[in-house]
Amino acid sequence: MHSPFLTPGSRSQLDNLALLQLRRDQTIPTILQLHDEKNGGYKEGKVTNTRFGSFPHITLCDQPWGSQIIASKVDTGSRGRTQKMKRKADELDSSTQAEDKPSPQTPVAASSGFLHLLYPTPELWTASLPHRTQVVYTPDYSYILHRLRARPGSTVIEAGAGSGSFTHASVRAVFNGYPSDDQPTKKRRLGKVCSFEFHAQRAEKVRVEVNQHGLDGLVEVTHRDVYEDGFLLGDPKTGKSPKANAIFLDLPAPWLALKHLVRNPPEGTESPLDPTSPVYICTFSPCLEQVQRTISTLRQLGWLGISMVEVNNRRIEVKRERVGLDLGNIRGTVVFPKSVDEAVERTRALEERAQLFRATQNQSDGDSTPAPKAENEAKGGQQESEVPVYKQGRVMTRSELDLKNHTSYLVFAILPREWTEEDEKRCREKWPSNRVQEPQGPQKSKKQLKRESREKRDLQRKEQSQPETESQKE
Amino acid sequence: MHSYVRPNQFVALRLPSEFTKIQKIEPDSTVFLGKFGSFPANQIIGRPFYLTFEILDDADEKDGSCLRIIPAAELHAETLIAEGEGDGEELDTNEDGTPMRTNREIVDDASTQKLTWEEIEALKKESGGAGREIISKLLESHQTLDQKTSFSLAKYMLRKRRKYMKRFTVLPLDVSILTNHMMEDQGAARIMELRDEMVGLLGCWGNVHHGGDASLDEAIAAKPNGRYLVVDDTGGLVVAAMAERMGILYPHDGDEYEEQGSSDEPKKNEAEQAHDDEQPPTESSTHRPARPAHMSASGNSITVLHPNKQPNLSLLKYFGYSQDNPDETHPLHKHLKTISWLQLLDPNADPIYSEEPEIIPESELYTMKSNKRGAYYRKRNRWTRVQSVVNEARAGEFDGLIVATVMDPSSVLKYAVPLLAGSAHVAVYSPSIEPLTELSDLYSTAKKTAFINRRQQLREQKLQQSSDQPDANETELQDSDLSELMAEFYLDPTLLLAPTLQNSRVRPWQVLPGRTHPLMSMRGGAEGYIFHAVRVIPTQQTIQAAGNLSRKKRKVVTQETPTTAVDSGSGVDVEMKS
Repeated sequence: MHSPFLTPGSRSQLDNLALLQLRRDQTIPTILQLHDEKNGGYKEGKVTNTRFGSFPHITLCDQPWGSQIIASKVDTGSRGRTQKMKRKADELDSSTQAEDKPSPQTPVAASSGFLHLLYPTPELWTASLPHRTQVVYTPDYSYILHRLRARPGSTVIEAGAGSGSFTHASVRAVFNGYPSDDQPTKKRRLGKVCSFEFHAQRAEKVRVEVNQHGLDGLVEVTHRDVYEDGFLLGDPKTGKSPKANAIFLDLPAPWLALKHLVRNPPEGTESPLDPTSPVYICTFSPCLEQVQRTISTLRQLGWLGISMVEVNNRRIEVKRERVGLDLGNIRGTVVFPKSVDEAVERTRALEERAQLFRATQNQSDGDSTPAPKAENEAKGGQQESEVPVYKQGRVMTRSELDLKNHTSYLVFAILPREWTEEDEKRCREKWPSNRVQEPQGPQKSKKQLKRESREKRDLQRKEQSQPETESQKE
Repeated sequence: MHSYVRPNQFVALRLPSEFTKIQKIEPDSTVFLGKFGSFPANQIIGRPFYLTFEILDDADEKDGSCLRIIPAAELHAETLIAEGEGDGEELDTNEDGTPMRTNREIVDDASTQKLTWEEIEALKKESGGAGREIISKLLESHQTLDQKTSFSLAKYMLRKRRKYMKRFTVLPLDVSILTNHMMEDQGAARIMELRDEMVGLLGCWGNVHHGGDASLDEAIAAKPNGRYLVVDDTGGLVVAAMAERMGILYPHDGDEYEEQGSSDEPKKNEAEQAHDDEQPPTESSTHRPARPAHMSASGNSITVLHPNKQPNLSLLKYFGYSQDNPDETHPLHKHLKTISWLQLLDPNADPIYSEEPEIIPESELYTMKSNKRGAYYRKRNRWTRVQSVVNEARAGEFDGLIVATVMDPSSVLKYAVPLLAGSAHVAVYSPSIEPLTELSDLYSTAKKTAFINRRQQLREQKLQQSSDQPDANETELQDSDLSELMAEFYLDPTLLLAPTLQNSRVRPWQVLPGRTHPLMSMRGGAEGYIFHAVRVIPTQQTIQAAGNLSRKKRKVVTQETPTTAVDSGSGVDVEMKS
């Protein structure tokens, strides 16, 4: 099973997750299927309906990723309303359609509407996933995973799987190959995410998602209260240690879980940590009080390099802002003088026209009034056509309207490998403390080194050949 | 994963002054830390990372060791004590609730410290205790110490400790630590002021990750996974960061598993491994079975596009890889490919690519001098390598594009975006926002619509012209038409979807009992921005966007007045013809 998150291939595949991008922040995740079990009744099989048209999955399968897909003409009105039909003719139609379900009809392209077919990434998934709890967004998890040193081959413990955004991001970070049953990889350690969730329903949902997304074997979901039962896989007492290198705690009281994350658990159970590497931890808490308790506990348990940060991310909108009197009547244009000069000119022109108007009024002949006005309009129209709209105005930036002011405080800490007296002793024997060679003179050049090694080789050859010749003499 | 200090590895040493020093740990050498002292490198080789050592004044008589590992409890001692005393949550207050000690009485002058400069210097020479003695002396002879509030006392202690303590912490040199080191201690301009948080964000938005098991994947998917295009003017930092994400940065990455597999006796394995490390590389290279060809990886690879003849990737030296003298055992040797813009855009102008060295028959080769034969093989190898790398790059279908460049990013995207596979992600870093706003403007919805309309117009013109010539291809635009389009639009705006601009900043806090607040100062300079977009494959059919915007009922505008349909804000209710 391949995950479209990790190895999407070049085309969309049946029964795999695909994202249907409607617009920038509107993406519909869907599993591509020809037949829809729940919603049967379309002639075309499974159909995703959007505000930009209907898309039978038959038009989405086996397409190159990134393709722009055109909406199809789908009869959405008559389907499924067999009981409360307004028009009887339609009812008859739909019932006959339902019968020939097994072979989806070839859809007809609609005249308008399209979407883009994208393979899922943790970023796009995070933006479109079904919310169950507070979501860890990209600016946070990108920094967390970077600081946690979650790299290909690492094992990550995640507690509080929540909505699964961090799960997807972390599995991408640690992925370095799919596990296979027939040939257990000896040399390489495969990356893995061990996800714990204490809410039964949420845990089940994450499990289903993991399966649907082809992440089985890469993500192991455990339904568990980690405060009480710790982080061993399987049985809380005798289970296998995940041997984690990195830990992410998105829990209301992370300090309660920390007692299980030690090198030598007091009850004699196995430690869930990797004994051969430093372990990195991050806790994700919205309140300062939580942070203080967490850090205090971390200090007591001997974690080092403790630091706390918050991530402030903002998205920036780039827009052309058009200000001016001569830009014509386009939506979004501010009809206002763009400079003092233009303001003065405009007022002057108005003044002149008023004078002219008064003059003509005085003459009590209304004939010549329309002339200057028409002239003015013609001028405006001319300028509009000169510069295309996409080049008018000035490019401006501003923060987007929905600003996330605070997500959570991130606490980071590191637990070094255990280092005993014996280890130190062994190391001292291998690397004698007082053996120091003073650096000899200036560094040798590559050429020099080469020459030296050649001389050495020649010398060796001579030595080797000499005894031979001697023995021949004998 | 970094489990212990290996000989001849670069590490970062964090000093009491919060500076980091990057140091190659060569066996049997001495490491100098300036005023904080020196120690023999052997005393940290083989030890785990993140330990803090204290430099002792007198070495152990038996084995000459002069370092002491400071246990975590001792490092945290002060805060733990403070927490023990009423959690440090309350200030010392009088009965009426006013703070007992304030700085009201404290007069700022240098006379409060009774020790003179000369005395301190003398103390430094004599006293031991890795600086602790000096600090206690300083505290003793401080006249108004008892007037200090606990906060200012803590600050005072910290200042003195930074100055006199002879301690250091050994950190593994990874991308994060190198980035912080470059930002703080080295010229930040060299890495385009790329902050650590930006490194993570750039990699995530670029969707950079390990491409999976190549052997397994090739059977199923015809396309190799995990091929990324990188444009890097940070001296190799971005390449290193992406390589780290792809698992090809650290030469010993794969080794740890063996160590872990036999958890019964990991120490023995480690010792063996360390023994392997001891051997000089020349020796080990002689009995290596097959030499992996330079830049030969099909998947999980980085292709660096560089403006000059040679790429500048000097920072990779800290990870054991030098561009001039690549170590064949390093994963980057196989997975890092470099190609110049000239080779990409006009390969025949580059003699290395276009001029194939003559093939000399074997028989003739034997008669040649060994160095000439070597030169011949080198030339042949270089030619085949450049041929394959350039051809592969020009064929495109890359899985992502990561850019951090001082050049105009739009010029990079103009040529690099067409090389991406559909749905591939583009992430561009810039220290300041202006190049990226220009870029966003080039990909604005208004530009897209205008571009599509203009192309349609040109096509129709072409159709009319070619109506007399029946065999002309109707849909394909010729180069002359394209260049007309490019002159107007510079690049094809329809190839990228949903351009987004963002910036991200990390704000560090101090969390101490009763003294929690954001750090008082942090680095200014470039803010750092990231542009992100997705490569798409626009359909060649003529379609219109269907928009039923509820608020404004606007008819989809017909083609005769294309410019009026433009609105960069809403983005959907525009006519799209392709």
